[in-house]
Amino acid sequence: MKDARAPWLRPVVALIISAFFLVPLYMILVNVFKQGEEITQSPSSLPVPPTLANITGLLSRTDNLFWASLVNSIVVTTLSIILLTVLSAMLGHYLARSRSRWARVAMLLLLAGLMIPPQVILMPVTQVLRAFGLMTTLQGLVLFNVGYYIPFGVFVFTGFLRGIPIELEEAAAIDGASRTRIFWRVVFPLLRPATASVLIFLGVWIWNDFIDPLVILGPSQGTTITTGIYRSIGQYQADFGTVFALMFLATLPVLIFYLFLQKQFVKGLTGGATKG
Amino acid sequence: MAVDVKTTPVPASATLRSRRPGRIPAERLRSFAAFGAPGLLIYACFVLAPIAISFGYSLTNHNPFNPPTKFVGLENYRLLFTDSEFLTSLRVTTILTVIVVIVPNVAGLGIAVLLDRKGWLYNALRTVFFTPMVLSSVVVSIVWTRMLDDEGPVNQALRALGVDQPPGWLSDPRLALYSIATILSWQMLGFCVVVYLAGLQGVPTELAEAASIDGAGPMRRFWSVTWPLLAPALTINTVVLLISAFKAFDHIQVITHGGPGTGTTATIAYNVLQTGLVANRQGYASAMAIVMLVIIAAAAAVTLRVLNRREVNL
Repeated sequence: MKDARAPWLRPVVALIISAFFLVPLYMILVNVFKQGEEITQSPSSLPVPPTLANITGLLSRTDNLFWASLVNSIVVTTLSIILLTVLSAMLGHYLARSRSRWARVAMLLLLAGLMIPPQVILMPVTQVLRAFGLMTTLQGLVLFNVGYYIPFGVFVFTGFLRGIPIELEEAAAIDGASRTRIFWRVVFPLLRPATASVLIFLGVWIWNDFIDPLVILGPSQGTTITTGIYRSIGQYQADFGTVFALMFLATLPVLIFYLFLQKQFVKGLTGGATKG
Repeated sequence: MAVDVKTTPVPASATLRSRRPGRIPAERLRSFAAFGAPGLLIYACFVLAPIAISFGYSLTNHNPFNPPTKFVGLENYRLLFTDSEFLTSLRVTTILTVIVVIVPNVAGLGIAVLLDRKGWLYNALRTVFFTPMVLSSVVVSIVWTRMLDDEGPVNQALRALGVDQPPGWLSDPRLALYSIATILSWQMLGFCVVVYLAGLQGVPTELAEAASIDGAGPMRRFWSVTWPLLAPALTINTVVLLISAFKAFDHIQVITHGGPGTGTTATIAYNVLQTGLVANRQGYASAMAIVMLVIIAAAAAVTLRVLNRREVNL
């Protein structure tokens, strides 16, 4: 298919449609540099003159809202994705290479987990966490994340492992390597592209998670940055300057991360799409 | 998505060992304990056990602030189907799901065809379309709430164009649900674009050329050659959209709180948490959650079955 008649048409149409997708980023960018009243009166205008008051105000708050929730978000996201990668790679490898009927059952149970909405399990999860003494703690949230997102990790790793010949592992076994050694020295390095997808997707999802940290961390023990944004619209209804500054600073890391790793994002998404 | 754990070649020694009756070899037990057990245990604690607990509670009148908890059998389920609030949420969820499954799928395919070209511009635009997917739904919701406010930029623009009474996108009970569905579709669209683009790039050019030599026009080529080969992309998109729409919660919590009016945008997912964690009627909320789980499982299974059937292999 060639665009012989009007070669300019395709790029122009594409640009116009894409503008619609930049709107929120534009809104965040212009409003973060505006005074509070200006945001409510003319939210779409350019910030003239721009002000840094919102950001500096947020960073120097006495209640440490930004810094405390930033640290929480970083700790929860990092711990969760490291644990998830290791545990789901091990479990995925175990299930992909196991021939038993139980492995098949476990695999089906995990795949079912891909579509369970958090709302279905959140109430009892609070009770499980309370029983372990982990309710309203970061560790509790991390453990829940691991349980809730492990099906995704296993799904990606087993899919990837199907394309890796088992002979490599058998050769290592004949050489006398233990199963643990084979996994870490032979299998895990081969899984690198799948590991990248798992880290990237889960990293973004967990960073952006809203309802799970809201319920599990509760109101008293501080929040993650995403939940912090939600709390701030309730608390400072009039102060949109703070809300936009918080949204800007919460989005910035994800956006930079995405722009640098977008090739891996696309690869991770489409690995499944083309193979079905 | 067939799970074939059986097809790996079986070394002879392993089969012999596993056939020995009544005993699980210590080596296999050890590798399960080291590799399988940790992940499965956490999954069981935080997903499987909670589902079982939910089911258990759904048979009781459990309310942590109103003891004692009594067994009520299927009473909660019977109540659900006479509860107008629940039936409304079922209707709201259905409308939302239908829109969110169709709109990003159709628009995503269109945009993917539009962007299916080489060059920096198209690469850059692909990045743009995917951006909403990496934004937090809380951020997306707050920004769109500002945009669609009665006095927000959208209505200001409409007034400037001469519309005297621009609609209350989020404040009109008849419109709010459709506005939310649009916002959700907007956020999911980039996902569909990327998946369809990958599908399009997987279509061998020889096929299109062969069809072209046989005299097929562009439309004919698309529907007879390209579209059937996009079946796996359609399956993935539809299932992902279905599940995302079904568990839509964040946008509703941030934008409308289930309103305006009574429950005009309250999905099942929203009502489960409202009933369970705000009104503390946990037994009743658990029954709702179980019904939700059954519906989503059935819908996903039917969709997969129908769509997998039309996938072709090259």
